[in-house]
Amino acid sequence: MDDSKPATVQATQLNRNARIASLVSAARQGSKDALGQIVTELSPLLWQVARAAGLSSSDAEDVLQTVWMRLVAHLDDIHDSAALTGWLVVTTRREAWRVRAAGRRQIPADQESFDELPDQGHGSEEQVILDDQRRALWVAIGQLSARCQELLRVIAFAPRPDYAAVAAALGMPVGSIGPTRGRCLAKLRALLASDPEVSPG
Amino acid sequence: MTPPDADRLPSADEPFDDVDLGLLDDIRELFQAADPMPPDLPERISFFIALRDLEIEVARLAEEDQLTAAARGAEQSRTITFDSDSLTIMIRIDANRDGTVRVDGWLAPPQRREIEMKTAADPLSVASDEQGRFSFARVPQGTAQLVVRPAEQGPSGAGRSVVTPALIL
Repeated sequence: MDDSKPATVQATQLNRNARIASLVSAARQGSKDALGQIVTELSPLLWQVARAAGLSSSDAEDVLQTVWMRLVAHLDDIHDSAALTGWLVVTTRREAWRVRAAGRRQIPADQESFDELPDQGHGSEEQVILDDQRRALWVAIGQLSARCQELLRVIAFAPRPDYAAVAAALGMPVGSIGPTRGRCLAKLRALLASDPEVSPG
Repeated sequence: MTPPDADRLPSADEPFDDVDLGLLDDIRELFQAADPMPPDLPERISFFIALRDLEIEVARLAEEDQLTAAARGAEQSRTITFDSDSLTIMIRIDANRDGTVRVDGWLAPPQRREIEMKTAADPLSVASDEQGRFSFARVPQGTAQLVVRPAEQGPSGAGRSVVTPALIL
């Protein structure tokens, strides 16, 4: 049980839930602006869902377009932030798999390279230490199962209050008390702990 | 399954702690840098949604095939099929020698419709024949979108435009 969560964090989450609920309600009544705000806020998450499923950039764009169009028709069934995020993730993933099956332009997820870390430039000593940590994390993520990589990549972009809904949407079990660390994060931490300088290969 | 040397390792059943949240923040930053969403995508999606007001029907990508005819992929032909509630649109894309592409298409069920190809340049417009055939001889490469305009006054009262998702020619 974690009662130590700062009150401000909880307040921020409640505010977010209320804000999303009112945006959904406004969008249902036809507000393009409200819908646009939801699209802006959650598209980066859906982008990662589609790309983690192995789609090319252009296929990922098509899938996001399709999913958002379909949400418009389903707004009546969605009333809170967790339901919204969960529905979007499930629908994006399903649509991504459908497009993968239909086309042949996909890049299999397991061929994605974890060798090269995107270059962030080098500078101060602090930056170099940071780069080492990032590289170790990147290498450790690359050692996880494809399923764990997908889950962590997607969860990392989900709004925190919606973690449980997103994990459930990805078919991952969620503890009865609430979101637990889960197998994938535990494995990642074990990898990082067992080898602080995870071999760069 | 937890690893055997789990004496100081965190268990999967515990709630998130600050280390987990910090790791997730780091993972987000890594993928943000490695594979960022195109920054203008939400705006384009919102624009697309706004088209709904024009009574449109959205076709979905149903199938795509890449036929490589010649060596080194120089002469490629792609066929793409889109499905919507009222219409199936099949197109075949062939490269022209001048860098443009030729697009031949078929509508099913066959019917005369006005068909527009939105491109980065000016939109192109053709009409399908009674067999539902249409063709654009020269289309600039890049992003394009097909819009099948509503039938004038069909016996079935079909009155909606059908649009495809954006496609890369």
